[in-house]
Amino acid sequence: TETIKAVVIDGYPARALWVKEFTNFFIPEVDKRLAETGNYEMDWQESYGGSIVKPKGVLEGIKLGLGDIGIVTTIFHSSKLPTQAISAVTPFIAPDSRAVAKAVDEIAKEYPTMQKEFESQNQVYLATGVVLDTYQVFSKEPISSISDLEGKKVAGAGMNLRYLEGIDGAAGVRGGLTDFYNMLQTGLVDKAMLWPEAASTFKIAEVAPYMLKADLGAVNSKTITVNKDYWDKLPDEVKDVLQEVAVEYRDHVAGLAMDRAQASRDKYVEAGGTIVEMDAAEREAWAAAMPNLAVEWAAQLDSKGEPGSDMLKAYMTKLQDAGYSPTRDWSAELSQ
Amino acid sequence: MTPFEIGILSVVAIVVLVYLGVYIPIALGLVSFVSILLMRDNFDLAVNLLKIAIGDSVMEYTFATVPLFTFMGLIVSKAGLGSDIYTVMNSGFRKVKGGIGMATVGANAVFAAVTGSSIASASVFSKVSVPQMLAFDYNPRFAVGVVAGSSVLGMIIPPSAMLIIYSFVAEQSVGDMFLAGVIPGILLAIAYVVAIFLMGRLTPSYVGGRSADEMEWMSPMEIADKTLPTLVLIVAVLGGIYTGWLTPVEAGATGSLLGLIIAVFRKKLTLKTLWHALLETGHITASILFLITAASIYSRMLGLAGLPNELGDLLTDTRLTFFWIMFIYVLLMIFLGTILDTASIILIVVPLFLPLVEPMGLSLVWFGIVTVVGAEIGLLTPPLGISCFVIKATLNDPRISLKDVFIGAFPFALVMLVVLIALIRWPSLSLAILN
Amino acid sequence: MLRPILTGVRALSRLANGVAIGANAVGTLIVLGLVLIVNYDVVARGFFNAPFRGAYEVVQFSMVLIVFLQLPDVVRMNRLTRSDGFLTLLSTTRPRLADTIRRTINLVSAAFMALVAYAIWPEFVEMYETKDFFGVPGIFTAPWWPIKLAIYLSAFLCTILFFIKVVRPDQKIEPVRLDEHAEENS
Ligand code: NA
Ligand code: NA
Repeated sequence: TETIKAVVIDGYPARALWVKEFTNFFIPEVDKRLAETGNYEMDWQESYGGSIVKPKGVLEGIKLGLGDIGIVTTIFHSSKLPTQAISAVTPFIAPDSRAVAKAVDEIAKEYPTMQKEFESQNQVYLATGVVLDTYQVFSKEPISSISDLEGKKVAGAGMNLRYLEGIDGAAGVRGGLTDFYNMLQTGLVDKAMLWPEAASTFKIAEVAPYMLKADLGAVNSKTITVNKDYWDKLPDEVKDVLQEVAVEYRDHVAGLAMDRAQASRDKYVEAGGTIVEMDAAEREAWAAAMPNLAVEWAAQLDSKGEPGSDMLKAYMTKLQDAGYSPTRDWSAELSQ
Repeated sequence: MTPFEIGILSVVAIVVLVYLGVYIPIALGLVSFVSILLMRDNFDLAVNLLKIAIGDSVMEYTFATVPLFTFMGLIVSKAGLGSDIYTVMNSGFRKVKGGIGMATVGANAVFAAVTGSSIASASVFSKVSVPQMLAFDYNPRFAVGVVAGSSVLGMIIPPSAMLIIYSFVAEQSVGDMFLAGVIPGILLAIAYVVAIFLMGRLTPSYVGGRSADEMEWMSPMEIADKTLPTLVLIVAVLGGIYTGWLTPVEAGATGSLLGLIIAVFRKKLTLKTLWHALLETGHITASILFLITAASIYSRMLGLAGLPNELGDLLTDTRLTFFWIMFIYVLLMIFLGTILDTASIILIVVPLFLPLVEPMGLSLVWFGIVTVVGAEIGLLTPPLGISCFVIKATLNDPRISLKDVFIGAFPFALVMLVVLIALIRWPSLSLAILN
Repeated sequence: MLRPILTGVRALSRLANGVAIGANAVGTLIVLGLVLIVNYDVVARGFFNAPFRGAYEVVQFSMVLIVFLQLPDVVRMNRLTRSDGFLTLLSTTRPRLADTIRRTINLVSAAFMALVAYAIWPEFVEMYETKDFFGVPGIFTAPWWPIKLAIYLSAFLCTILFFIKVVRPDQKIEPVRLDEHAEENS
């Protein structure tokens, strides 16, 4: 039996859902499969929580060989990994982590673009992770329609701040997840966009007791990658096992995220929160008011000679085949 | 070499180099670089470690608190807020034996809430309170000791550069760390006042001094004029953070702007003072953040070596108890406090102990307060005691030697140790305000 | 033979010091800019419902500039954190040995800063060629390359300044920053 050392890195702490499941699911699963033939055995060194890299540094850490396997939080890297924004630019389709994770992962494997982006960062793509079910709007005041968002300050982060463009006078205020409670409490913002699990972790019900179930959509944010030089030296048997288990990890984590989401919504209501289903017409109005981020995204890729438009169409089709019809057909507005 | 051996050897190497006089960030960076070379025999990997740590570490949004609070502290010192508070406190304590000493402690505690560094406190108060104590025949050693001891409050009571540094290493919220520092800071101030009272009773000749009968009470108008600007700043900065209206970065910027406005109103702001304050801020920021960057190279090297994992295993194997971990921790900090500055101590010991403390389920906010208070004891101990150096240099009085300052500060270092033990024993002292 | 070298070093020293002082002045203005930008965001958000969307990135950007534009001046003025009690003591009894140790320390420091410059240069080239940026497209973005360039130039300048200290060591090294608050309350 040959022993292979693997340094796993993430900047998030060991208690984060996807990190914990890497320890409790990914690693034992790989060990189990390798034990079946007995040719190889892994010697894992798990370095999480900033001991080698910060959350934003995983991509570079894997690139530079400070870790062998890493969980890259892709939303930090709009510039180096533009295609990873695929689900963020297509809101109002699927509030289901499993469907989004599978669709993005298939896009990554059917089109070379995503893998090429990682390859130019000297790493090999294994699988996509989705750790939240869907963004919702949490509010201090009762809320049911987009007119309730007009002229209000809404906390958000990254791409979702752009969902507010098109709503009259709505101003996006950037904030870290840990700040949302205070921002709402002091009235610095009137609303916040986050997912139910985060809302229950940070006791948002105390300060924003109304949740508008807008189902903005699940977003892919994690990718498991392997340093390219390390990968090239791995025996094929180990490569195969890593690839197989990565896909199972993808579904495992997405499934857990969905279970947690349900529990979190229940907890939110128990804690005194009210969930208001957003009217279909209102959702359509919001989607219609937004700029078509997906077309912007596709055009950007097309201009670089990548199949942006094709990826967008294929992604929409995959979700439709999985039973989710888009509130607004983003790809219908493509010019090519 | 095992990770554990690398950890021990690197600490020893750093201590030796620093003792020889090598710049602390250079010592940290170089030892880390060489450790990777020895460990992995891979030059590129060692270079890559530098690459990622240097790019990554400074790009932290919350680090803007360092220049902002430094600038605010400098500007309000120039506006004379420190000496104002002192004058007011002094008129209250004038009848008591050691009263000017107590007034110095009280004024330091208030001034600490508007400055982020002990150096600012030490230099302001050696100018305003030492001469006055000498004029009233206080023992010079007692006089400088009080100033040195109470200058430490500047970095425990928020805002504080050291709490910011800890929150970076331990990934805690700066706002939480600030709030947790309030009660321990006040507790330390009270402990100092009690100690001065006891010294006045038990060793009156060591304290010296005579009471001032000729002083007049201040009018309420005068008191208001001298305290309101500081109160406004405290409410805006700490209030802003406490309520969540402002992030610590924004509170620092608001405080800086308010400080500027106050200085303009008091006609204490010339273009030259503004430029000097900005220049000084830049220098302090660059040296602190470069130090942090180097320390981050070091802690990542330890991570790469697998030391945190090893320490975690060690803990489960040896079943070190809470008592022994904290005992070793405090001892190590006091030892390092003899030759390192506070920031370096925090940056070196925290990565070593976090993997021991975190699995025990202890609060990392509490651990940060313990760390900062423990590391600050070093400000008062020879041979390197920054507060004492600053006081000696600011006074520039041949009658008072550096040795006098250190001897005078010693009782206050002991009081700090007692308070530190209390903070370790009762974590709620640090955490109550957060819940 | 020695004289032209010495003249050359002197000229280099003047030039490097001048550049360090200039960079420091720019960094100093950025400190003021930081105060103003953050306050602008606070006011615009609180009173006009119009937060400055790039505040976060601009703050990050200015931190890098403040630190790396001012670092050479910190080196020039011997204000880099150190503990030189031992050296000061040694120079009273064995001045030549103390001087040798000082020069060695500066040489080692020059070597370290050169390593930093060597590590960062390829990063700068890569970022410049790929036009890589940080931030969120459509919200606010800023290019990476000026950051990498600032770090590279800073490390390069620090290398030279340390090197000059090897060749022409300063006569007087202050253990702590004494000039602080020189004029306040006086
Ligand atoms: Na303070
Ligand atoms: Na000391």
